[in-house]
Amino acid sequence: MKNIILIILIAFAFNACAIKEATNAKNQNNLEIKLIDESISLDDDEFNDEFEDEFQDIKAEVFDPLSGYNRLMTSFNDKVYIHALNPIASGYTYILPQTVRVGVSNFFTNLQFPLRFVNNLLQLKFQNSVEELGRFLINSTFGIVGFMDPAKTEFDWQEHDEDFGQTLGFYGVGEGFPVVLPLLGPSNLRDMIGLVADSYTSPLSTTGSSDLQYKIPNNTLENIGITATNTINSTSLRLGQYESIKEDALDLYPFLRDIYSQSRKKQIEE
Amino acid sequence: MKVKNLFKILLLITFAITSASALKKETLKNEMESKINTILLVLKDESLKQEQKGQKIIEIIDSVFDYNTMSKIALGKKTWNSISKEKREEFVKVFEKKLKSSYIRKLELYTNQKVEIIELLPYKKTRLQLVSQLVGNDDTYKINYNFYKNRAASEWLIYDVDLVGVSIIQTYRKQFSGLLKEKTFDEMLLTLKEANEKI
Repeated sequence: MKNIILIILIAFAFNACAIKEATNAKNQNNLEIKLIDESISLDDDEFNDEFEDEFQDIKAEVFDPLSGYNRLMTSFNDKVYIHALNPIASGYTYILPQTVRVGVSNFFTNLQFPLRFVNNLLQLKFQNSVEELGRFLINSTFGIVGFMDPAKTEFDWQEHDEDFGQTLGFYGVGEGFPVVLPLLGPSNLRDMIGLVADSYTSPLSTTGSSDLQYKIPNNTLENIGITATNTINSTSLRLGQYESIKEDALDLYPFLRDIYSQSRKKQIEE
Repeated sequence: MKVKNLFKILLLITFAITSASALKKETLKNEMESKINTILLVLKDESLKQEQKGQKIIEIIDSVFDYNTMSKIALGKKTWNSISKEKREEFVKVFEKKLKSSYIRKLELYTNQKVEIIELLPYKKTRLQLVSQLVGNDDTYKINYNFYKNRAASEWLIYDVDLVGVSIIQTYRKQFSGLLKEKTFDEMLLTLKEANEKI
């Protein structure tokens, strides 16, 4: 019997809360309506300073000595994408089913293993490097030379994308200034240096073939062929993405420059 | 004795119900999950026309997106305070349209993909961030929804969406401040309006 009384008491307490909650909610609804009225007039001059701090730029002005060239190159790249890459990738999509294209993408990703492995090591992310090594071993064998990704589907070993540009950023190297590269798109001084080191490490390019034995292409022509296939394949899996991003642009070049810089910053932080 | 037990059970049920609704932060995650899932269902629904889809999606998300705050942040304190009330209203209207269409267009790309709501994290002291993930063909994309607590309505509202580390409101803020260096506010508003018409 005592128990029952206790339970009843507790229940009452809860119900009281609930009723309070309900009346609160009612008040809130009223408030909301009021708020909407107010917000329509947008009367409040009081600006939330917290937001102002969060979105404040550290650098007021972007140091961009090459802005003229960058602008030109951005519109060149934009045209190449619209008139060449996008139609080719669309045709490619028409010919090959998605499963095959995802397989090709897995294959290229698997081959880029040295790049991720080395850069995870350089950034002291040992756990990630071990996972990358495990991914490479499993996917190269059970994954049919990398076309499948059993490491992810069976063991949940995710890919840890790192490159030399990120490694430089990790050790505090600044962006330098923005440079838009032909065909490759937005970059900056730091990431350009990173790209040279990347292509040296990557098995998919001929750079450094005298030092490293695992290079796949034997000459520049093969190198270009591999890069083109990789690019077309990965574009085919991302059709429409560039267009949808571009929709947010009021002025294409500074917009892409900002997106690139924000996303690189995030990648380096992670 | 049996009646007593029944009584107990009934009471326990009341607890369960009342205590569930008391957790507001907790419900945020579930509510957003159901909203996003409904949006994906709308997008997949072939019986609807493109415009109807857009309309439906807006109905679902409108109550959680705070366009006023987004507009304020995107313009920045200085500009916001320097323009008249009418101009502010006009700006919010135009910018809201832009944000809506941009959001819908981005979702349309991923009709057949899965969206996973991962977790709700505390963010910048007073805020919350809902981390979600879109599983693409050969890649996953992080989408973060940033919430702040609106004091007047004591409700959590979205003030920014973060796509793979790129803040949508921040990119607009940069663009507006860039444009305002060369143009007047009215000219910039016109540029935004023209961008809206292109869609």
